[in-house]
Amino acid sequence: MTTPEQLPPPHRPRPSAPWQVVARREVMAKLTDRTFVVSTLVSVLIIGVIVGIQVVLAQRTTTETIAVTDDRAAAVVAGVDAAAQEMPVLGGRTRYETVRVASDAAARTLVADDDADAYLAVGPDGWTLLGRSAPAATTQLFLGQVIADQTMADNAARAGTSLETLRQGTDLQVETLDGARSGLATGVGFAFALLFYMSALTFGIQIATSVVEEKQSRIVEILATAIPVRQLLYGKVLGNTALAVGQMVLYTGLGLVGLSFSNYAGIVSSLAGSVAWFLVFFLAGFAALACVWAASGAMASRNEDIGATSGPLMWVTMIAFFAALFVPDGLWQQLLSYVPVVSSILMPMRLADGNATWWEPVIALLVTLAFGVAMVRLGERLYRNSLYHTSGKLSLRQAFAGTDQV
Amino acid sequence: MLALHHITRRFGAAVAVDDVSFTITPGAMTGFVGANGAGKTTTMRMIMGVLEPSAGGLTWYGRPLTRADAEDFGYMPEERGLYPKQRILDQLIYLGEIQKMTRGDARRAAIDHLDRFGLAGRMHDHLEALSLGNQQRVQIIAAVMSAPTALILDEPFSGLDPGAVDAMSEVLRTHTERGIPVLFSSHQLDLVDRLCDSLLILSHGRLVASGSEDQLRAGAPHRYRIRVSGDAGWVRDVPGIACLDVDGTTALVDITTPGAELTLPRAALDRGDLYEFARVVPSLSEIYREVTA
Repeated sequence: MTTPEQLPPPHRPRPSAPWQVVARREVMAKLTDRTFVVSTLVSVLIIGVIVGIQVVLAQRTTTETIAVTDDRAAAVVAGVDAAAQEMPVLGGRTRYETVRVASDAAARTLVADDDADAYLAVGPDGWTLLGRSAPAATTQLFLGQVIADQTMADNAARAGTSLETLRQGTDLQVETLDGARSGLATGVGFAFALLFYMSALTFGIQIATSVVEEKQSRIVEILATAIPVRQLLYGKVLGNTALAVGQMVLYTGLGLVGLSFSNYAGIVSSLAGSVAWFLVFFLAGFAALACVWAASGAMASRNEDIGATSGPLMWVTMIAFFAALFVPDGLWQQLLSYVPVVSSILMPMRLADGNATWWEPVIALLVTLAFGVAMVRLGERLYRNSLYHTSGKLSLRQAFAGTDQV
Repeated sequence: MLALHHITRRFGAAVAVDDVSFTITPGAMTGFVGANGAGKTTTMRMIMGVLEPSAGGLTWYGRPLTRADAEDFGYMPEERGLYPKQRILDQLIYLGEIQKMTRGDARRAAIDHLDRFGLAGRMHDHLEALSLGNQQRVQIIAAVMSAPTALILDEPFSGLDPGAVDAMSEVLRTHTERGIPVLFSSHQLDLVDRLCDSLLILSHGRLVASGSEDQLRAGAPHRYRIRVSGDAGWVRDVPGIACLDVDGTTALVDITTPGAELTLPRAALDRGDLYEFARVVPSLSEIYREVTA
């Protein structure tokens, strides 16, 4: 060196963390991508239509007109109407109205002319429900119940006792050792699992594609010399996680709002808690999986290779999905609800069932976070070692053993 | 200044770069020439930290070059590539931010450079809509827009039309005037000749010549052409010179003993008329051919 030594130029400060810049680009690239926007809008539309149908059904009221000739029958129909209002039925409510006529013949004419749906008559031998064809099953059921109750109450009074005394000890209580999963919890759990599975797969493949595209177009050489690889990885994972969670919040929020207008309004408040847990677990499980997906993208050098490098991951995601859905209640379910990724489906399901105590999801979350951090490290290593491979796919062994540093 | 000290890089048994040392001076443009596979790209990748040297070290202003130093360098990789499906201005802003610019600064610098390369009207187009030459210009902008502390450019001129070459030279000159070192590789020797203050010639992984153009020429043999009235065959017997070629009345000679050139005109005049006696200055391509032979 012949020229006198000078001081090197000072390092310029970074105005914002590189991962933020990368994450913002991932988000902006998606939000301006027509395919992404259209598919999100279509999903919103589908959910909107389903919700709309529920709301319309909930507000629909059908009226059953029952012809009667005396006060006893009229009182029974009024009782049925009151009972029907308290019992929400999928597909809307039914009102029961009476048409009072003077004679049995007039009532029969009403039914024959379709001016009444049925004719409720009471004679010395008991009750008769007459319709042109068989009256609606719910009408038969409700009328039968109310008539039975009233008649039994009358009979009991005549025998000097009460209906309650007669009924004592007839209830059959059902209990299970494992705690039964209610139909609703199963349905909600299935919906959660499906959402998680679908968005983990679609976003996962998109993350892998976005990594391999940068490799394929070689912009990666500019990126990897300007910012640390770990920041690039974090940015990609976090940007896509934000998008996926945003989509989930949109979909589940829309679903809950829709439910609150339907006949299930009463259970929305109890579901909201499960949904919040679901989103938290989704966030953790998705971020952990996303790192592995990014690494699987880095192991491929062309878009065509992604299928080969990400195949095992698709299997893992699928197995997690089915394991969570079909594991029987009990010990196995409890154990699996702590396993990362599987826990993202199972733990919210157990919470929806109400058979998990508060600290169980917390522990499952911590396990998932630890797994996520480990995956970030592993993903980074795979990413670094395979970033500059531009031909063919890299075997896992090559990816681990790489010596070139970035 | 950026210095390489005995840098070697092996890929398995193959030696891509073999014990190379050189210095790139701030404020100067250094041309990096050599045949395909001579090791230029590997050397540049080691400067940028993309590859680790197998042996040797790099220094930046006298201390070891760090990754943080290289993050402030502008780099144009041999393998070109940006985001084909993203708008030009958007991706330049992104690449500026990656290179520590604020969003606003990146935007201003991108628009300014696009304007300089005559691409201001295309800034909202997708990159893939541009011709390859224009994509190359965008790539160059990505390397220089953040006012880096050094420029490492792998074949920046390949594929550019003469107008773009001029615009590019102009841009590079503004950066050397800022006092940063600029290293670029090229196959176009006339261009290197025209632009560079200093030259590095690489052949089969080894540095075979380096220095300014004048230094390289000074290192080349002193060559003279002589044209006389009679047959010039007698020059073969003049001591201190090596005769390269005799063609009738004309001869081309290299001076092997300094001062021997002074005896030639006199010897010619003793035998007849002397029509021409002139120093032959080798072109850069001749020097290149000689040192890489």
